[in-house]
Amino acid sequence: MYLKSTTALTVAALTLAATPSLAAEDLNALIWCDHADPKLLEPFEEAHGIRVNVKEYEGTAAGLALLEQSRPGDWDVMVIDGVDVGRLVERDLAEPLPVEEMHTGDYFPQIVLEDNNSVDGVTYGVTEKFGYNTIAYNKAKVDPADMESMAALWSGKYDGRIAIYDYYLPVIGIVGMAQGINTADLSAENLETLREPLMSLKAASRQVSDVVASQTSLATDEVDILVGGGEWLTAVLNADNPDLDWTIPEEGGLLWSQSLVVLKDSENKDMAVEFVKYVTSPEGQARLATSECYWGMPANSKTADVLSDDEKAVLRWDDQATYLERAQLYPVPDADLDSAMQDLWTDMIQN
Amino acid sequence: MRYLSWIYLVACFVFILLPVGVLVVFSFQDGRLPVPPFNGPTLKWYADITSDRDLMAALFNSLLVAAVSSLVALLLGFLAASGLARVVLPGSTLMRAILIAPMTVSYLIIALGLLNYFNNIGIRPSLLATGIGHVVINLPLCFAILYAAMGEHQRNALRAARDLGAKEWQVLALVSAPMLAPALGAAFFLAFTFSWDEFIIAFLLTRFDVTLPVEIWSMLRSGLSPATNAVGSLVFLVSVAVVVLLELTLFRKVGK
Amino acid sequence: MRIEAHEKKVGATLVAPALLWTLAFFLIPFAAMVWLSFSHMEGRDIVPGPDFGNYIKIFTDDSLFRGIVVSLEITLTVTVISVLLAWPLAWIIAMRVPKRWQRLALMLAVLPFWTSYVVRSYAWALVLGQKGVVMDFLTGIGLLAEPIQIMATRSATVIGFVHFFVMLLTLTIYANLVQLSPNYMRAAQDLGASAWQTIRLVVIPLTLPGVITGAFLTFVLCIGDYITPQILGGNNELTMPQLIMLQLGRRGDFPMASALSVVLMAIVTLAYAGCARWLRMDRV
Repeated sequence: MYLKSTTALTVAALTLAATPSLAAEDLNALIWCDHADPKLLEPFEEAHGIRVNVKEYEGTAAGLALLEQSRPGDWDVMVIDGVDVGRLVERDLAEPLPVEEMHTGDYFPQIVLEDNNSVDGVTYGVTEKFGYNTIAYNKAKVDPADMESMAALWSGKYDGRIAIYDYYLPVIGIVGMAQGINTADLSAENLETLREPLMSLKAASRQVSDVVASQTSLATDEVDILVGGGEWLTAVLNADNPDLDWTIPEEGGLLWSQSLVVLKDSENKDMAVEFVKYVTSPEGQARLATSECYWGMPANSKTADVLSDDEKAVLRWDDQATYLERAQLYPVPDADLDSAMQDLWTDMIQN
Repeated sequence: MRYLSWIYLVACFVFILLPVGVLVVFSFQDGRLPVPPFNGPTLKWYADITSDRDLMAALFNSLLVAAVSSLVALLLGFLAASGLARVVLPGSTLMRAILIAPMTVSYLIIALGLLNYFNNIGIRPSLLATGIGHVVINLPLCFAILYAAMGEHQRNALRAARDLGAKEWQVLALVSAPMLAPALGAAFFLAFTFSWDEFIIAFLLTRFDVTLPVEIWSMLRSGLSPATNAVGSLVFLVSVAVVVLLELTLFRKVGK
Repeated sequence: MRIEAHEKKVGATLVAPALLWTLAFFLIPFAAMVWLSFSHMEGRDIVPGPDFGNYIKIFTDDSLFRGIVVSLEITLTVTVISVLLAWPLAWIIAMRVPKRWQRLALMLAVLPFWTSYVVRSYAWALVLGQKGVVMDFLTGIGLLAEPIQIMATRSATVIGFVHFFVMLLTLTIYANLVQLSPNYMRAAQDLGASAWQTIRLVVIPLTLPGVITGAFLTFVLCIGDYITPQILGGNNELTMPQLIMLQLGRRGDFPMASALSVVLMAIVTLAYAGCARWLRMDRV
């Protein structure tokens, strides 16, 4: 067989053994995929002669577990769900931020989210990007009027043409809203009342999928509706399929926001703060808003001067005031409720 | 019957080659969606990936981990096989069973065990940690191949060399290894391939410096793009080129 | 006698490094994982055991138990289909294809090995999609009026797996077939057996050990794989590896992930015990 020789491969491997160049200093960031875009990182790296190492994580629980297994100095900055900044503070993992240096004066006021980002008057996090988990759909295939009420999802009209975004927090939040439960009021008791609607939503859908699988199936007409979707999912596909649209139905939608936090055990805090300043500056904001992985509204309103008109149109810059008014924040479950929500989610998938 | 055979053969080949064919064709897709209709060829995605520094670093990391971990596995496997083939030790069967055991365990379980263990003893997720994991999965393979290859004929030659006064290491390096060259080559090649393509251990045991499969996975998760096709096609074409090259040069000489 | 003792010392020295490695990086981590599986999470903290809570939950919680069922169903389906497809293919290559073309045929049959594993699953996602080439072709020639859904179903996962394992099994079964002495078949024919009888009564039994070894490998690799169901299955059901990754990735629940892994391991061990008499693991 051709499993017989090796020399060629060894030689190939050894000749390729040019050492990768290591920058003098490193900044280690625990992130979501939008921060992995070189377009965002490279200008900062060049300006400071530093290398930004990024590691993606999925879900706050897993991020916290990662932090707890690490040693001091392993991580400098972290991107986290806006509503979860408090969980970092609670575990004494976050460093207070010099908020006066953070451009927050230029923010959309609704998005400063003081309640999320600070504890006892001390600010630990700063919002960097936001958007909505609602309903994304293909307007060539779906009657946009139907999408103004979530009842359409359960009506049977769109059975088999729905995909569910695979993240339990927003989708359970949305299903709750459809049942008239505000995200802030979700509890162990009323969670059970969501079981039935969640199961029938699953029965009406074709798949429960992550970002890319959702994009693929929307773009290729496999599904026409994505529950939990929004501009962050459709904006990237705009050039290829302008029919992809999203809306906030009358029941409302979920506001997602992500915050940047400097970690307490960082051994490079000055640089970490510099990084936060860069990301919240209009230039950094524009790059983050249109990042390769997903788009989203920048928190800093001055970004308007940097983004092109087309980009602003895709982000629906001018409609934000009404959207913000109608959106609710993510549910903030404690450990037990979080566990119950995840159990419910697994039940939904396995059903 | 005869026609049926050929039809079956062709059908199987279509099934086997279909995904790779589609992969390669749509790596030249002009536009963001790697699905029909084909919008005409572009090399854009190849330009994209070759200028992607993370991807190239991951490619290098994969080669490094595969080469080093396969060599370590080969060395350990070779020594162990030599030891067990020459004398009957007390507990020989048990030792063989222990050495072979990791082969019957899913990679995911090996990865999970090491992840938890490394956390406790303070080895950070890194290429080193991944390399250690890859030695664990490849050692049984190398051992099994080499142990099977050591026959009576070999044992006699080794005894003769020792009787003539050769030192132990000389016997191993100068007599045993050359005699086993084909098996050593096969074992290394297999181990290299497995390490090169291994995902789950590398996924759980790396942090910033990732291997190619992990990098491709994060590409997949961060946006739909023919660039993923381009990486896959590139890996495919290079591997096939290497195999064909080996086929045309080395095996021809072996005369098989 | 002295030589014997010396020999043993040298032998033991040679085996030691590999044994130590396996001990340090396989047996001890594995034992630690088993121990951890008897702990449980309270909030975000691991409470050391021993307690059987995780195992009780696995076998009483519908969703977790369903993971075991799903995994077994998929794995058995894949193993059976792969063997049934690969055997005739290997036979045709070994017996029908002229000798000088066999190597080429075999290389073609395993060609997709040489692309990345992750990419192979992804490629099937493109092929099987609503707008993929298969549906394009089937609706184009009028065999289907409408594209049907394959992607994001169990069928997609099974197809992705079968693709990989047909390649693997074709290799192992081919290796088995070419080792058979043609005398057996000639003898069978001389005794008046038809071609079909020869295959059924002589060739198949003789390849059985190879087939079973290959099937066992298929079983082990398939039941432990995360990538293929994750990319192709559309999260309409979860296999055990997916559940394990969910415990790690979403919950940071190491004890439960460990317990699920131990159960997975036990299933593989049972499968091993089931076909141990035909297996030659140290001769793979």
